[in-house]
Amino acid sequence: MADYVRLDGVAASEGVAVGPVFVHVPREVEPERESITEEEVEKELERFREAVEAVARELAQTAERLREGGSESEAGIFEAHVEMAEDPEFHSEVEERVRGLESPEAAVLAVGEEYAKMFAAMEDEYLAARADDVRDVATQIATELMGGGQAGLEALSEPSVVLAVNLAPSDTARIPKGMALGFVISEGSRTSHVSIMARSFGIPAVVGVGGPLEDALGAEVVALDGTEGYAIADPDESTISAFKEKQENLAEEAAELEEYKHVEARTKDGRRIEVAANIGSASEAEGALKWGAEGVGLFRTEFLFMERPQLPTEDEQYEAYREAAEAFGEKPVVIRTLDVGGDKDLPGVDQPEEENPFLGWRGIRMCLDVPELFKPQLRAILRAAPHGNLKVMFPMVVDNVELRAAKQILQECREELEREGEETGSVEVGIMVETPAAAIRAADIAPEVSFFSIGTNDLIQYTLAADRGNERLTRLQSADHPAVLDLIGLTCEAAREAGIWVGVCGEAAGEPDMIPKLIELGVTELSMSAPSIPRAKRIVSEL
Amino acid sequence: MVEREAVVVPQAGLHARPAAMFVKEAKGFNSDIVVIKDGREANAKSSLKLMTLGARHGDRVVIRAEGEDEEAAAEALVAILSREEEE
Repeated sequence: MADYVRLDGVAASEGVAVGPVFVHVPREVEPERESITEEEVEKELERFREAVEAVARELAQTAERLREGGSESEAGIFEAHVEMAEDPEFHSEVEERVRGLESPEAAVLAVGEEYAKMFAAMEDEYLAARADDVRDVATQIATELMGGGQAGLEALSEPSVVLAVNLAPSDTARIPKGMALGFVISEGSRTSHVSIMARSFGIPAVVGVGGPLEDALGAEVVALDGTEGYAIADPDESTISAFKEKQENLAEEAAELEEYKHVEARTKDGRRIEVAANIGSASEAEGALKWGAEGVGLFRTEFLFMERPQLPTEDEQYEAYREAAEAFGEKPVVIRTLDVGGDKDLPGVDQPEEENPFLGWRGIRMCLDVPELFKPQLRAILRAAPHGNLKVMFPMVVDNVELRAAKQILQECREELEREGEETGSVEVGIMVETPAAAIRAADIAPEVSFFSIGTNDLIQYTLAADRGNERLTRLQSADHPAVLDLIGLTCEAAREAGIWVGVCGEAAGEPDMIPKLIELGVTELSMSAPSIPRAKRIVSEL
Repeated sequence: MVEREAVVVPQAGLHARPAAMFVKEAKGFNSDIVVIKDGREANAKSSLKLMTLGARHGDRVVIRAEGEDEEAAAEALVAILSREEEE
């Protein structure tokens, strides 16, 4: 048996890597000068502002890169760092010290440290953790002031496996592209910053290996398997070749999936299945297209309404819908009208406390009762329609009474807009089938709509009477239950009779085991989170 | 000058996303705005200062605004603190 060290940890980011070792040791940044002269003050203040600008710009670019890679929460970290770098109080404290003849690099490190100490002393765990963030930002500004270029991760010039106790988000972000083959990290879990970033950059990672990392620091070569969650220090020849073979197989699979990104999904017997993306904002459209989305099967509009003091205006909504419509051009974009209930507050809407918001005043029920909520949204959709291929979908519909009322309001909006001389476009109307009632009586509803989209997440919850968030009910949270499958079957049958199409936009649409079953039942559109698209297309093409 | 009292509603307290939104909203006004908690003041346009207040869910704070748009500023910021955060 070879004499090597095996490190077991958490499989944090898929993939296999073998390469030379780079050990990252976090450095203490020391100011080059402590003080400056009276004459230098203005010049140094200017340099400080420039350094802040440069750092903020770089942080904002990283945020953008992460957002494109689908890492919304990590993008948020960098946006918070931008905010810190540009903080007005932080600036005035640094400037005051510089006016007191302290060098800007010394001042920025000192002020950063003051805030870090304040945060570290706080009871709140979240705030205490912000100490590292503010230190990180201050260090970056100081480094920029001293001309950057310190040896470290940013100077990595040979593709390597990076070993570290931990990596701060900014550490990970400044590694030159292609230079990190993999990460082996002593701390952390699957949800640590480093893990999430590794996944969004596609770099294999094993984290949480703990103390044994020490034994690997002296190694020349490390092999790691981020799918299985282990690493081997100084592997022998046969281990290296085994890893290389795994690597090739994975690369082949990735390349194969790459091919599927931009093909039209079709089964072997020629049935066309549209594979679309679920998006939550217009800015996600570009990313979805890159993954090969053939449309948007579900545009959730809730984000437009949340976390703000007033309801969004019609114009604001118009801009968002138009942006998505234009990005997709001919390809369909299905906009789901507002779907919220008593579990989420809406500005300006009097929502009573409810015992059971998921069975309460929500979705289309609320929209029908509050025209000032519903009409601006429908008007915005109608106005955006000429810019692409928009469809409108009503959530939580139970029967034709609701559907007809909603269609009536849509018609009113169209007539109003025409009277006002606004340009409008035609939009197909469909419903989310997510209540058992709508599925059971799909045959009544089908003649009055252009499509059905099955929201499996809620359909499962309502059919099996099992809360989506309850950890003890996992068996009852799958679409692969005869009762749920029967309802999907009923919906498809009714659609076939009426000559309309059926899509699925819940989690099930992207699940490899569910895709064949859904298609078998008659579903012709699958809408899922964008990164799942290539795999779904391949599954479809193998049926 | 206007002063308004508010109770911090977001479960997370005045940090992370609620703080970021709060600062963003504050920056949209010309008035000088401070948040006061237990006698300590913080510039409402500085997320760092705000976070050092450590205002938690259920804490009582005062928002003081001074300037041409002080009424609107105080009102908008009280509204943010009074709202439950999404998820």
